Amino acid sequence: MIAQSHLLEGLTVRRVLYVTAICAAAVGAVFWIFLNTYLDLLVTALCVGYTSMVLFTIAGNVRQSRVPREAMQMFAVIAGSILGTVFAGLVKGRSIPAMFTERLSGVAISMGLGIGFGCVAVAAVILREKSARDQARISRAESARHQLEKNVLEARLQLMQAQVEPHFLFNTLANVQHLVETDPPAASRMLESVIQYLRAALPQMREGATNLGREIDMAQAFLEIHRVRMGSRMDFAIEVPEALRARPFPPMMLISLVENAVKHGVDPCCDCGSITIRADEGAGRLRVAVADTGEGVVAKKGGGVGLSNIRERLQALYGGEARLTLEENAPHGVVASIEVPVEGAAA
Amino acid sequence: MTAAKAVIADDEPLLRAQLRTRLARTWPELAIVHEMADGRDVEHVLEAFRPDLFFLDIHMPKVGGLEAAQAIGSRAHVVFVTAYDDYAVEAFERGAVDYVLKPFNEERLVKTVQRLRERMGSRPAELQSLVESLAARLAPSRDEHLRWIKASVGSNVRLIPVEEVLFFQSDEKYTRVVTHEAESLIRKPIRELLDELDPAKFWQVHRATIVNVDHIASVKRGLKDQAEIALRGHDETLVVSRAFTHLFKQM
Repeated sequence: MIAQSHLLEGLTVRRVLYVTAICAAAVGAVFWIFLNTYLDLLVTALCVGYTSMVLFTIAGNVRQSRVPREAMQMFAVIAGSILGTVFAGLVKGRSIPAMFTERLSGVAISMGLGIGFGCVAVAAVILREKSARDQARISRAESARHQLEKNVLEARLQLMQAQVEPHFLFNTLANVQHLVETDPPAASRMLESVIQYLRAALPQMREGATNLGREIDMAQAFLEIHRVRMGSRMDFAIEVPEALRARPFPPMMLISLVENAVKHGVDPCCDCGSITIRADEGAGRLRVAVADTGEGVVAKKGGGVGLSNIRERLQALYGGEARLTLEENAPHGVVASIEVPVEGAAA
Repeated sequence: MTAAKAVIADDEPLLRAQLRTRLARTWPELAIVHEMADGRDVEHVLEAFRPDLFFLDIHMPKVGGLEAAQAIGSRAHVVFVTAYDDYAVEAFERGAVDYVLKPFNEERLVKTVQRLRERMGSRPAELQSLVESLAARLAPSRDEHLRWIKASVGSNVRLIPVEEVLFFQSDEKYTRVVTHEAESLIRKPIRELLDELDPAKFWQVHRATIVNVDHIASVKRGLKDQAEIALRGHDETLVVSRAFTHLFKQM
């Protein structure tokens, strides 16, 4: 049952009416050549038309990849015309041997006309289907592009909010305020970090591409600020070879991972935590990892929203060629790493 | 009258030091008897130091200021310290709660200290209901559902956010966890996962299968009263057994 309904998929009332109309018109166009009545010819034409239609539909639904679908459908129409003519003869009570002897010329004409009209009709159907498919593909691509643009925009907005997060800013300024009174050189260093961080973060809101070095600088400034603020609770290290700093790297991803490491890793646990940023390159791929020795993920606590955003942006930028993975750090904490192909190195 | 005793709670050491020095200027008689980096030890601190007054930062790891205030109740006066919490500050204004904004403003601190000094002799205000409603708004949503799957890959443990899981399927001893990018095996059985995952997002569609409904592309009728699920961007289809087809019946 299932298989049959699948093979006849697309055999709609509309299609039946369409074929009927073509048959009626075709007979109208040629019946003056024949001695037969219009009705008699219409019976033949409908037999040919419906047989071809059924075979055409089946040919369109058979799952195979050796022969192009369109060729299968053309062939189905030719076969349908021949079978349909024989079928028409049977309907009219003629014997098959007679059809191929004294009535051969009539049969041949009928088959030929069936093939001729059938092919024209099929060509029209195929062209229409193809243009509908193209249209669908175009609109699918269009909507995928829109989705992508929306995601990038969302990511920027989110990051923009994150960067100027009032808590971050006011708490940082409160620290500076205190240091100005108690330890002016430290206050000045902290202000420098704030300035460097803002300088690195702000232009990226507008630019699309950046390099790893700039992303590292921004992350470093962010971590410097937090090291002062969190006192002995947090430390960090950056182990990135100088040569890799010039590599192109998508913006605002590293800082998201670093923020997660501070917010969900080190901050929740009260007396532990270091963060290490590492980068290495090999086999045409650049891998940047942020490891923390913090709390680790809690099975029932969230924090994956920024991550799915990074994943979507990597997909948009590199197709399936880039990866974000999260792993448990030993003995505790998380390692989040981004792997992207190095341009030109893959060849 | 003995000098008032206060406790400062803030996770940032420099900001504790800052409040301490500022208070030393504006309220020299006040004794800072203890400092803490989060609100966990409130009971012990109340017991050990018998403070009259707590300065509580709202955002602290583990136990924040609002939770700590709930624990304190009316056993001591409470002043909230915050860098930026629009609606908290608004609620404090309405409820006549004392609060201090970071970075500190000398003038404001002087005024707050004046008010506090007058209030020291009286009973601490009852903040319970205000703090409770604020805590409910500020606290990170306490999700009881499973958010992360930990799967071993070689010697590493991969962390997979559940939103990215397309489906779980039991495979004899293990459970397959399938995402767009990879497939891994975990030991947690389907039945346990079912109890822990968010039931609005994860539906059991077969004795052996749980699907993430966010990733379903279409559901088609299949053989023998079953149905078949196609997933977005994934080739494998999932069978919905008869017992679960009602989930996909048209409303």
